[in-house]
Amino acid sequence: MKDQQSSDEDPGETLKRTLKAQLQRRKKRVLERSSAQGTHVDDYDDDDVEEISTVQQRSEDEGPSEKAADPDGLSRPPTGSLRGLSSRIQHTADSQHLDDFVTRRLEEKRRAARAKVENAQPQEVSPEPASRLQSLRDRDTVTRFDRAVDPERAGRQDVPPTLSTRVKFREVARRASKGVPTAEEAYNFFTFNFEPDPQEETEKISRKRKKQKKASEGGDEEGGEDDDEQEDAEVDEGNQDEHEDQSEEAPLVRDEEGDLFVIEQSSQDFLEVKKAEYIGYRKCIQQESELLFRPSFRTVPTSIKLPENMKPRFLEDEGLYAGERPPVSLTNENILENRILKTEEGKKWFGDDGRIMALPDPIKESSTRPPLFQMEEDVDPALHTVYRKAVKSKYAYLYIAGSADPEGDYQLDVDVSGLIFSHHPLFSREHVLGARLAQLYDQYLTRQHNNLTGHLTDKLNGSRIALRNMLNVHGSQSLTPVMQQRISEYSLEVRNTRQLRDSEQEKDRTLLKNIVKVWKELKAQRDLQKYTNTPFKLYLRRENVDRASDEREYEDEILAEVVELEAESEEDYQRKLAEYKTQLEEWKLWRRKQKSKKKKKKKKKKGQAQDETEEEDEDQEASESEGPVEEGHPKPEPPEKPDFDSIEQQVREKASRIRRKPGEAILIPELSASGNITASELCPRPETARREDVTRRSLFIKILYNDKEVSRTDSRSLNSDFKVHFGQIFNLKIVNCPQSISLQVFEEIGSSCSLLAQVYIPVPEPSVLTGNGTLEEFEFSSNQRVMFDHDGVGSDVPLSFEADGSNKQTLLTSGKLSCCVSWGIGEDDVPLAPPVSQQPGGLHSGLGRLDAVTYIGASGLYDMKKIGEWATQSRLDPNDPKNGSIMQLLKLASSGEVTAPEYFRLEQLQEEFNFVTDEELERSKRFRLLRLRSQEVAEFRNYKCVPALEREVTDKVFQEYERRLKEGEEIDTRDHLDPQRARKAKQHQKIREAVINRFILAKHHFLLSDLVIEEEIPSIGILGLNLFKLAEPKRPLKPQRKERKKVTAQNLSNGDIKLLVNIIRAYDVPVRRPQSGPGQSSQTAIQGSDWLISQVQVRPFVEVSFQRTVLQTTTAEGPNPCWNEELQLPFSAPNGDYSTASLQSVKDEVFINIFDEVVYETGVTDKDKGKSIHTRVEKHWLGSVKIPFSTIYSQSRIDGTFKVNTPAVLLGYSKERSHGTNGGYDALRSLSEGAFITLFITIEPQLVPGETIREKFDSQEDEHLLQAAERFERDAARVYLDRPCITTVIDLNGKTVFITRYIKPLNPPQELLDAFPENSQEATALVARFVSLIPSLPDRVSFSGTCDLWSTCGEFLTLLAGDEEEHAVLLCNYFLSMGKKAWLIIGTAIPEGPTAYVLTYEQSRYLIWNPSSGQYYGQYDTFCPLQTVGSLVNADNVWLNIQEYTSPMTINFDVSKANLWKPFFSRSFTHPGLSSVQPEQLSYKRADKAAAADLQDSIEKILKEKIMEWRPRHPTRWNRYCTSTLKQFLPKLELSGGQDMAEGHRHELQSLLGDHRISGFPLHLPFSEIGPIIEAVHSTGVHNIQGSNVEFALAVYVHPYPNHVLSVWVYLASLVRT
Amino acid sequence: MAELHIIGQIVGGTGFPQNSLFCKWGVHTGGAWRLLSGLKEGQTQVDIPQVGDMAYWSHPIDLHYATKGLQGWPKLHLQVWHQDSFGRCQLYGYGYCHVPSSPGHHRISCVTWRPLGSWQEQLAQMFVGGGPQLRSPDLIYSGADRYRLHTEAMGTVELELGVIMRHFDKYGVES
Repeated sequence: MKDQQSSDEDPGETLKRTLKAQLQRRKKRVLERSSAQGTHVDDYDDDDVEEISTVQQRSEDEGPSEKAADPDGLSRPPTGSLRGLSSRIQHTADSQHLDDFVTRRLEEKRRAARAKVENAQPQEVSPEPASRLQSLRDRDTVTRFDRAVDPERAGRQDVPPTLSTRVKFREVARRASKGVPTAEEAYNFFTFNFEPDPQEETEKISRKRKKQKKASEGGDEEGGEDDDEQEDAEVDEGNQDEHEDQSEEAPLVRDEEGDLFVIEQSSQDFLEVKKAEYIGYRKCIQQESELLFRPSFRTVPTSIKLPENMKPRFLEDEGLYAGERPPVSLTNENILENRILKTEEGKKWFGDDGRIMALPDPIKESSTRPPLFQMEEDVDPALHTVYRKAVKSKYAYLYIAGSADPEGDYQLDVDVSGLIFSHHPLFSREHVLGARLAQLYDQYLTRQHNNLTGHLTDKLNGSRIALRNMLNVHGSQSLTPVMQQRISEYSLEVRNTRQLRDSEQEKDRTLLKNIVKVWKELKAQRDLQKYTNTPFKLYLRRENVDRASDEREYEDEILAEVVELEAESEEDYQRKLAEYKTQLEEWKLWRRKQKSKKKKKKKKKKGQAQDETEEEDEDQEASESEGPVEEGHPKPEPPEKPDFDSIEQQVREKASRIRRKPGEAILIPELSASGNITASELCPRPETARREDVTRRSLFIKILYNDKEVSRTDSRSLNSDFKVHFGQIFNLKIVNCPQSISLQVFEEIGSSCSLLAQVYIPVPEPSVLTGNGTLEEFEFSSNQRVMFDHDGVGSDVPLSFEADGSNKQTLLTSGKLSCCVSWGIGEDDVPLAPPVSQQPGGLHSGLGRLDAVTYIGASGLYDMKKIGEWATQSRLDPNDPKNGSIMQLLKLASSGEVTAPEYFRLEQLQEEFNFVTDEELERSKRFRLLRLRSQEVAEFRNYKCVPALEREVTDKVFQEYERRLKEGEEIDTRDHLDPQRARKAKQHQKIREAVINRFILAKHHFLLSDLVIEEEIPSIGILGLNLFKLAEPKRPLKPQRKERKKVTAQNLSNGDIKLLVNIIRAYDVPVRRPQSGPGQSSQTAIQGSDWLISQVQVRPFVEVSFQRTVLQTTTAEGPNPCWNEELQLPFSAPNGDYSTASLQSVKDEVFINIFDEVVYETGVTDKDKGKSIHTRVEKHWLGSVKIPFSTIYSQSRIDGTFKVNTPAVLLGYSKERSHGTNGGYDALRSLSEGAFITLFITIEPQLVPGETIREKFDSQEDEHLLQAAERFERDAARVYLDRPCITTVIDLNGKTVFITRYIKPLNPPQELLDAFPENSQEATALVARFVSLIPSLPDRVSFSGTCDLWSTCGEFLTLLAGDEEEHAVLLCNYFLSMGKKAWLIIGTAIPEGPTAYVLTYEQSRYLIWNPSSGQYYGQYDTFCPLQTVGSLVNADNVWLNIQEYTSPMTINFDVSKANLWKPFFSRSFTHPGLSSVQPEQLSYKRADKAAAADLQDSIEKILKEKIMEWRPRHPTRWNRYCTSTLKQFLPKLELSGGQDMAEGHRHELQSLLGDHRISGFPLHLPFSEIGPIIEAVHSTGVHNIQGSNVEFALAVYVHPYPNHVLSVWVYLASLVRT
Repeated sequence: MAELHIIGQIVGGTGFPQNSLFCKWGVHTGGAWRLLSGLKEGQTQVDIPQVGDMAYWSHPIDLHYATKGLQGWPKLHLQVWHQDSFGRCQLYGYGYCHVPSSPGHHRISCVTWRPLGSWQEQLAQMFVGGGPQLRSPDLIYSGADRYRLHTEAMGTVELELGVIMRHFDKYGVES
């Protein structure tokens, strides 16, 4: 535009000067405008104004400059250049110089260009190209804006040129200037829109706006340029022209401005359309190359990288370590170097060697994580995994912790190689010698092998030479003390070695001699017996020696020895002499003192001075003649001079004894087993017998692991050389911790075998594995005495080889067993050994594995000293970090803290952080209580509320528990009265605890049915029945029994449980005896008064006492009373614990006592004048029934008629029925004797009885047998619900045992049999009585109802307590041994429930024995307590009752009938020959009368005290006379076995105690403890008799039976004086 | 003398390949801890969920500990087992978590893993069941060099534990 303007006004260049004034004016206007518009700050001064103007000018200026630049270089792309320019302008605003420089250059170029144009173009053409060019150039500007110039100009000049012309002109101009159009020109030519713009005005405005914008933008920046322009103002004439133009136009635009904005605002005003740009690739490159830096990838010379005048230095060459550089490609490195060099301080990145500094390669050569295949081999054993098959979990181990590996991954390999007898009973004499010879030869060989003599001789020679050398070297000079010491050391060593060698030589010599001697004996023996038994042959090889040299050596040796000995003895002598001298000195000193003392004494005497001096002189002589004057200090003896001659003599003697003579051949014995053994046919009879015996024998070895036989070798026959080779290896898979491994050598003769010896083998260390274990020889011997009638020498039999039988030897069977025990190796070479040490309790084995000591393989070394020794021995490298921990440990140990290694090893920091000490924790009573409760210790099992605070727990809580603990150690004899019993009770307690512990775990095993209760879905059948029931007629008079609801025990509390006792009736109660005895005159009065009452005979009532609660029925009348009353007794469990286990162990018993109510008139009182009669009621005990609570609990109800336990003698009563009263009834009744009572007892509410443990016990029975037994029992239970059938029982060790093993004839105590030698009936009864006297203790009481254990008879007799089964088994066994046919009946009885009785068959009838009472019943006895018979057992078989009925009366006991009794062992399943578990024989202790007498006294004392205690308000008088009478009577009762012999006794008593009314009875009990006796006495209620004149009599008798079985009789009587 | 009650339940396991699962668990403590009452190990029933993926056990945990120090705070280790349709059991995962040391109710999910075994074992496991198990399960809570063990991630076991602390403040342990 400027160009065009300037070119317009070029002709009027002359006007320039004039126009300058206009310029000024315009500037002013601009100033005004800017101030008016507010775009500029008003307080701009003139400079500012000028600036603005220049801005405008500048902006105009750009165009021409571009245009000018355009022609002269195509290198600049139009837009880019422009932008670059403008940007550069803006950018360099602060750096004026550059700007100036550029503008100047631009000016120049423009001018040049302009000159060209001017030359080439006509005047009128010039504006168009300019405008076009500008539009072309200035991309930013709007095209219309460019064009707008034209009309404006045209308007101004009034010469509007047509488009075409304009184009043409321009074309011409271009051609003129360039000739060839540029690329842009060509482009523009085709794309440009040459249409004239209609909107001049708007264009102008917009342009104006542009200008203003630009001005405001670049105002500051272009100030500098402004200056420039002003400087060369004359150059820019055109510019000024243009300015002038614009200034002329400016007002116009201004005027119109407002309207234009308002009216014509279209999108076109604000938008501009751009063309798609394209920049040529090369241009791009060019442009980029200007902006970007491309480092070259050529190698940079080292000199550049290093500081000047430096040579590269290679550390590696200098021997210093330089890590390997990470691999980088050379190009990359070069590029990096080049780039770095360009930066400031680039050189600091280069090392001395001229390369970029780099850390060593961080990547390890191998990959850190080992690949999978590698892992299998060297993985930590802790990380081993085991592939376990998916198995049914039935027997899988239950819990994680303490996981005893059920699969038993441990294996012991026992290699039994063989054994050699060094003596055997079957040895012939020759064998004995042969064995001795072999032994000696073995000894010889080992000695030979060790060659100690040779070694010692060498050593001796060596030290001699060394000594000699030393003496030679230093011989002449005086020796230094060090040398002297060394010499003395050497000589000492020489002496010691010589002595050792001598003794060894001697041994060698004697051994050789012995060998020869034994061989000679052997030969003599062979000659004597004329046959050979052993293949031994001894050769003596002679090795001849050169006599001369040998002699020389011998002499040398002797000489050397002599010299040494001489030297030694000389030395010895010198030493002794020195000693002697010092002693002498001392002695003299002492002597002098004595003398001086004497002198002082003697001075007083004055006279013998001369003598004294003489004496003194004598002393000074120190001659040996004079002994010491005073005792105390003997005068020392001078040592003797050594006798050198004798030394040589001695040496020679010794040498001849222990050494081979010079020149004598060396004898080398050689033992071979190549000799022939004389064939058996050629031997004499005894020898052949012996040989036959040998061949009959064979040996095998049992391997016992933890005292259980696990395996045995094949049996191998004994050879004639008495060597047995087994060569068997046993792999033991073990589960239990190894405690002992032993091998038992058994010898078999025919079918019998006997134990020869047992060899214990140490359990190998875990490191001893199968590969590396060595065979070891274990010696064994047995002291069995064996004698033979043939040539065998026997064992433990004196034996002599001398002709005269002297020098006897006794040889025991002995030998060597070679075997090897080691831990097995699994398939994957994993040792199957248990971990090194299982720390006890809470310590974790994981810790153990990380333990330093075990880690380095020193297993089991926990002794610090040993570790120390081991460490020094194995020369641990203290610097090795692996050994760091052990070194530390040793340091600690050596510093004296050996005693406290616990926390060093485990939790060493624990102590510091502890809140409290262990002791304090232990002291806490609350914690103790909690723990005891959770351990279910009996006293605390159901402790409900543990206090929250420590202080609320009192010490009282523990008292009982602690007392029990203390009692555990010491036996409390106070309660038991009998130390024997106490011990038994203790033993029983122990067994009980063991059993309970065993079952504690079993209790936690639940079946599905225990946990999940599923109501059975009623089947169609049941539904149908129920429907029928609806249709049934109602029968209110026939009430149906309703099942009571069972209550589980846990939600019960005290008072909830009641015991219901329904007493229905009694039969045959003893009746009062009419007092019509002879001579009872005194009693007639009473009898008379009682007559009316006594017509009733008896007025019995029943009293039930339970847990000291006593209830009684009303009084009925007559001997067959009927009460039909219900009594309710409360029940409270011990400790308020109503759990099943606790209820089962309740030992309380229900006493049902029958009393007779006797009413006495005490006479008529005077006051009431006969209106009232005072009577006294007495109750007389008639009998009782005892039912243990545990029975009621387990049976849940007891219903039946029981025999009342009446005393043998009941004073004042008779059991005879009154004759003729009811004769018809008698016929039936006569079958039994005694009174009976019908009862019904139950517990309200009904409790669930505890169930027995269904644990499957391990067993030694055959698996087949067990299965068959299980099947048999199951079948029995299915078909016959109510018939108990037992085939297997559990013994005290918790093992399942087949029942027939318990039955075996066993001898009863001989004393019992001797009692009635001719009467077997009596003896049988006595045996039964003996059995019944053993106290009965139900298993469910003693073992908390866990299970029913059967002890063997031996155990039963030791424990002296047992269940009915034990009694029955014992009785049955006794009967069998007495030659009876006996069976065990498994059935149910009242009141016991399921129980065992004994059946015998004698005299063609069956008898049923109650083992607990000792009574027997006939098969058809109505009152037999046995109700059902389930099965029979004897030693051979078990039979199940398959008859229709179960009652003993209705069944046939003939077991041979298969249709009545189903046998367990039948033809298809035969009896496998089960051996018995019972002992071979029972041994009994004899009855101890003295102990019984003691016991008797103490029981009597206790009972008397108790009775007095129970009568606190009345004086208790004892009638001594009566007591003594009763005492005499009791033994008779015992003898008669409680049989009725009352009549005579009664008469006796009556006669003795004429004026007393007496009522009393003897009680009989088996003795176990004092408690039950007291209880029984209390229940009779004798003490309740009131009255002033009552006296008591109490007699106790204890009858001892063998084996501490005691029978206790208590006779209790009350006497009333009448 | 501080006491700690851990009362809660093992709710169930989820995310295992099969969901007929049961769990064996145990609580492991240091030497300073005394168990006053409660069972410290046990085994849940097998749950075969018919709806959803999660096997619910709701197995109670009720422990009462006394301690003389903080060392060896109780940790719970778990083994999840799978019972297949033949009633055979195989290990599905080992897991381990600490009992929270702050009082209150906590929901814990314990992730489990199992050893992978060699490819033969994996193959066998696929067809006949079973699977590799740790020879020494102590490894679950002892920090031996476990990196050599190749394992596979299994599901998670959800636990809900209520922690009650007593007298810890006496010894300067703030909760």
